Amino acid sequence: MRKLLLIGTMGALLALLVSACGGSSGGGGAISVAKEGESKTTANAACEEEPVAGGSLVYSRQLETVTLNPREIKNGNGDIFAQEMIFNGIVRNDPNGSDKVVPGLAEKWDISKDGLTYTFHLRPGLKYSDGSPLTAEDIAWNLEQFADPEVNISLAGVAQGMESVKATNDTTVVVKLEHPVAAFLYNLSIFPAFIVDKAKLESEGAAYWKHPVGTGPFIVKEFATGSHITFEKNPYYFEKGKPYLQTMRWNFVTNSNTRVLALKSGEAQMADGIPFTQVTSLQSEPNLGIEEVELPQAVILIANNRVKALGDVHVRRALSLALNREQLNETVFRGTGTVPNSVLMNFELDASDQEVAPFEFNLEKAKEEMAASKFPKGFSVKLQYPAGSDYFKQMSLLIQSELKEIGVEVKLEELESAAVAEKWFEGEFEMTFPFVGTSSDVPVPDEYAAFYALPAAELDGFKSYWTNKEAEGLVEKFISSTNEAGRKAEWKKIQELFNEEMPSLNVMDFPLINGHQSNICGTEANGLGVDQLQETWIAEKSS
Amino acid sequence: MLVYLVKRLIISIVVLLGIALGTFLMIHLIPGDPAKIQLGVHATPEAVEQLHHKWGLDRSWPEQFWLYLGNIVTLNFGESTAFSSNIAELIGNRVGPSAAILIYGILIALIIGVPLAIIAALRQGGVVDNAIRVVTTFTFAMPPFWLGLMLALLLGFELKWFPVSGYEGGIGGILRTCTVPALTIGLGLLVVIVRNLRASLVTVLNSEYIEAARARGYGEFRVVGRHAMKNSVVGTITILASLFGFLVGLLVLVENVFQIPGAGTLLVQAVSKRDYQLVQTLVFLSGAVVVIIGFLADIAYAWLDPRIRLAGRS
Repeated sequence: MRKLLLIGTMGALLALLVSACGGSSGGGGAISVAKEGESKTTANAACEEEPVAGGSLVYSRQLETVTLNPREIKNGNGDIFAQEMIFNGIVRNDPNGSDKVVPGLAEKWDISKDGLTYTFHLRPGLKYSDGSPLTAEDIAWNLEQFADPEVNISLAGVAQGMESVKATNDTTVVVKLEHPVAAFLYNLSIFPAFIVDKAKLESEGAAYWKHPVGTGPFIVKEFATGSHITFEKNPYYFEKGKPYLQTMRWNFVTNSNTRVLALKSGEAQMADGIPFTQVTSLQSEPNLGIEEVELPQAVILIANNRVKALGDVHVRRALSLALNREQLNETVFRGTGTVPNSVLMNFELDASDQEVAPFEFNLEKAKEEMAASKFPKGFSVKLQYPAGSDYFKQMSLLIQSELKEIGVEVKLEELESAAVAEKWFEGEFEMTFPFVGTSSDVPVPDEYAAFYALPAAELDGFKSYWTNKEAEGLVEKFISSTNEAGRKAEWKKIQELFNEEMPSLNVMDFPLINGHQSNICGTEANGLGVDQLQETWIAEKSS
Repeated sequence: MLVYLVKRLIISIVVLLGIALGTFLMIHLIPGDPAKIQLGVHATPEAVEQLHHKWGLDRSWPEQFWLYLGNIVTLNFGESTAFSSNIAELIGNRVGPSAAILIYGILIALIIGVPLAIIAALRQGGVVDNAIRVVTTFTFAMPPFWLGLMLALLLGFELKWFPVSGYEGGIGGILRTCTVPALTIGLGLLVVIVRNLRASLVTVLNSEYIEAARARGYGEFRVVGRHAMKNSVVGTITILASLFGFLVGLLVLVENVFQIPGAGTLLVQAVSKRDYQLVQTLVFLSGAVVVIIGFLADIAYAWLDPRIRLAGRS
């Protein structure tokens, strides 16, 4: 009888498969593009009520947390997002999604006229999650660690320009800079500047990072590498009444189908990294909410300007004009992407689409640019892309067929993702997609503008090997200018110059896509896409 | 016997050394630098150099290989660069779940496969035999990540008998969380057991001593169960032992689909992060398991079969 059972099982499986395929064509709710810095969510009336404290949730996460040490990141957002639960900086990125810096452990600060001295005034009565007091001395020590490239291995660049830091009394910390740094507050708001418990770290050594004590909304209860991490509410968290959740468990689920299944079955109440292909079908599920989180993130196609043809600005413009981005957005990103109007990823500071037009698809103009170049008859070029991600193959094939129209023959080269990144770093490529998604660490363009334009960043124009004296001068001025209004105008000039020069191609700005059960409220992320789980609460299930 | 054993032992050690050298070269020769992978877009030359020094990657290859061999001999596998933790501890935590689904999977394959093989052998050429052939070939040919997902959909999502993913320890936890993954492995393995066991059963059932047993009037159950099976399983067990490599491959995929924190996923992560030390250790250890299983199997045969034992003497 076993065989019959088996045959029956297989039949049921096949039926299930067929119905699953049919199901994905349903739904079809149009996706409207959220405004920058905001996330679009399926509204749930219950979430309009006052938040309720208590409860627990399971979050199915794409990227595993490998280390909780914010100055030695091992697995990108897998690490950073967990650290954001446990630690705080003295200032924070606006939890509501704007690109502003808001108070963190410091309740206010003064900046001297010359932009060289920052005086931070701490909130009174700050405590670590174990109840021990946090002192101004601790903060000064942490900022010194932040400025030490031997300790801050993850992101030493963001501490550039720091001269000294001193705790002048119990609640005041003074930081002095060598030269003005426009993004300095932003740099202090991100993970390498998080405040960790000095005394505990010194007494426990490496063991501290398994159960770190910080000032963030949550405490680590259990950290099982490769499996999960569980959190508990920090009773000493400085925002009174928050977090709302009592406990929270993050399961590390790298397989996207498994993540979606966990969310649909209710085993998880939240899941991130929803594949583009499943957005439409999940949006039609009544008990789920799907969010598109806008952040400075793009698919960047690096053109090696040392390759003769790619060193010709007319060719680079022609390549961009020949890309049918609308079609790429439909077929690859399923409409979740945004056609960019900047070579860099989208920033809130960017000029609007009305002021600077998005990159257009215009074969006529593309052919004119090719004719004006030194390669009017076209040329052949290699494009490297990472294996293991369906949509890069699809995108590369589309680009290949589109560029054929202007006489550019693209040879595709699929490489394992680590190898693509390595070859990008070594400059051993002609065109490449070095990273699956390229996102900024700060919500302002300073970091990436420097990567592209400043030799001091030691990244050779983000490995495009593009150099431009005018851009260098403008960016130099921009990143040290502390006048907000002036920066906006300066940035527009840089954005336009970059677009004209097209050192590399921004193919598409695209969001993070998260899902949650519809009774989970307050799931919006900040402007960098980081979950703000101190704001998250569970509403009564509507019947 | 002793000569034979010593010979086998020497060969095993040579094979292990070969595995050690092979893994070392392979992981060092493929492109991808662990420091640059960790630093990503922020990889300035200074930062890369600093990490190389910290991880001992600025030493020469022979020096690194020598250290690695020393580590193996002293069973001190060092620190993982990708996870910043002790490698022995890291692997130790991951072996349990992998072993659980592997053993459970083989058990399932045997429980389903042995009766199917007997039925097929007794009805050879018939409709039932052909049906078994088609179904087991189908479950074998399906990619495990797809088969796993379908099983999770059916048994987890639709019927809600089991969770769709995750792992829990303890007997109850393993039964709850590992049944579907183990079933995926078992169904993948089924064809090997059924085809092999069926083939050897068919041969044995046609031999004279079975005819003799039948002539004595023994029931079919006794003939197959006591006489035919005894002489047919040895071959199947050998095949199972030699399939370990295939099983590890299956394990990696199944662990990924069901979010099992096992050694298979650890290996994939170690390779993608170019964690040299961890990759070397994992590959070496699984190689060692294969070698040890092979060695034990050889001893078992020698013990069972005098021809092998005596051959060592010549």
